Amino acid sequence: MKLFLKSLLTLFFAITTIFFALRLTPGDPVERLLGPEAKVEEVQKVRADFGLDKSIPAQYVDFAEGILTFDLGKSYVKKKPVVNLIQEHLSPTLVLALISIILATPIGVIVGVVAAVKKSKLPDTSIRVLTLTLLSFPIFSLAPMLVLVFSIWLGIFPVSQWLSYKHMVIPVVTLVLPLSSVIVRVMRNKYLEEESQLWVLVLNAKGLSSRAVIYRLIKICMPTILNVVAIQLSVVLAGTVITETIFDIPGLGSLLFEAINNRDYPLVQGVIAYSTVIYMLVYVMVDYVNEKLDPRIA
Amino acid sequence: MSSKKHTRRINKEMIIGGAILSLYILWAFGWLMTHGGSYIPESIISHELFSPFSHDYILGTDINGRSLFKVLSVGLIYTVGISLLISISSCVIGIVIGYLSAIRIKFISEIMDMLTNLIFIFPSILLAILVMSFSGQSFSGLVLCLIFTSWPGYARIARGETMRVLNLGYVESARAIGVGEFRLFYKSILPSIIPVISIHFVLGISGVIISEASLGFLGLGASEYSWGAILAMAKLVLLEAPHVVIVTSLLMTGLIISLNLFSDGLRDYLDPKLKN
Repeated sequence: MKLFLKSLLTLFFAITTIFFALRLTPGDPVERLLGPEAKVEEVQKVRADFGLDKSIPAQYVDFAEGILTFDLGKSYVKKKPVVNLIQEHLSPTLVLALISIILATPIGVIVGVVAAVKKSKLPDTSIRVLTLTLLSFPIFSLAPMLVLVFSIWLGIFPVSQWLSYKHMVIPVVTLVLPLSSVIVRVMRNKYLEEESQLWVLVLNAKGLSSRAVIYRLIKICMPTILNVVAIQLSVVLAGTVITETIFDIPGLGSLLFEAINNRDYPLVQGVIAYSTVIYMLVYVMVDYVNEKLDPRIA
Repeated sequence: MSSKKHTRRINKEMIIGGAILSLYILWAFGWLMTHGGSYIPESIISHELFSPFSHDYILGTDINGRSLFKVLSVGLIYTVGISLLISISSCVIGIVIGYLSAIRIKFISEIMDMLTNLIFIFPSILLAILVMSFSGQSFSGLVLCLIFTSWPGYARIARGETMRVLNLGYVESARAIGVGEFRLFYKSILPSIIPVISIHFVLGISGVIISEASLGFLGLGASEYSWGAILAMAKLVLLEAPHVVIVTSLLMTGLIISLNLFSDGLRDYLDPKLKN
């Protein structure tokens, strides 16, 4: 309950900050929309239509009322309700983020365990070098390299856009590689840490097969991995902003980027409020699952 | 059984990371010495998109017919300068705020809790995009927005470490005999925070380089020489001149690898317990 209130407070704080940040920084949405040669009367009319002629506190009241009734307003540029726009652009981002996480987590866990079991031997060393290299490739330099190799040189996958499952491969790989590398490293370290605990020694002494011990060790590492995945979710979603811009994918990230560039206040506020709610839900969920998995935390 | 003494040994990661890193530093300094800070690479339109090692261009030319080597050198100095500036400022801010919230000045710890939650929950790149596109693309705007998104990391670590140190016997005794708060901070707390912060600092630099380049890539950077901006330009000519993407990506990755390796090594060096 306390967590819920705290989340609500942070959410309130986030959207309020965005609201004022949008209005107090330079750049006028109406000027952007109508261009520099628009007539004064025209500008004033559009301002009144958007409710921008009111004082900022009055606009905030309108905005807050809208939020409470789940009405996020209408996009200035696209002339459509923000809620509909978010719905239209939601699926590519969610698909991209979810597939990446679903693929990266098991890959990361398995490779991490392999590295830990073969500690300091060749597999471990090569995995460490590989993950470090992958982590050092920023998305925007990894993506063009993958495009270069797989689309241009080998011609296996299409370059951009979002039309079939084939179009998803490179964007997903771009997100999965760094994400699974993070998980590999955390898994390896956590596994080694737990392995040195007394209870592992007891299990071994009782003659449990090494496979069973590994299974129990993985289980005990899961809360940590889950936390990392949750923290990485915001990284993945941020990554989708760049990935979507690079690959021309009509998702939330590119929607937000476009909205920011157009000073499309309602759309920016809507997308940010929406993503904040998603982050909040994920964090609350992770806390809940953690308590279930490891009663010591509660 | 006597306690096993941990010997501090310079490890492989530190050597490799440090070696690559010093190559970059040498490159940046050498360039700065020979060309100065305000050098602008000349552009010869007829020399557009030469491949590497052709016509006296060691790394080829870019879309404007400038020597890619010169463009990247200017970009390197810009990147290194801006990331140091941002990391040092965020580090100082983070230590002060972390300390203040650890010694339980209620008001500060509440605000800091809120701010760190807010900044942690938002992907920093989104915040940076937001700030950058509103503040207009200026150097100071970029520096401010990157500081804004990177200090909470330092504050969190500084806070945790300060709390740990405050509970140690000698700090409590120092307090008891009336050592002043400032002296305590300076003499006892700061020295024990520094090792952990320094690991984060090296890692933080690579984070700032990536954030800055991401903004540059999205067209929100402050300099056309930012490696991110060069990559965005290179993406447009991926078919005609793949060398621009390859060279820039590899150089950038090399720099980040060296920083990551170095901080990895530094962690093992400063805290050998972590390794086993």
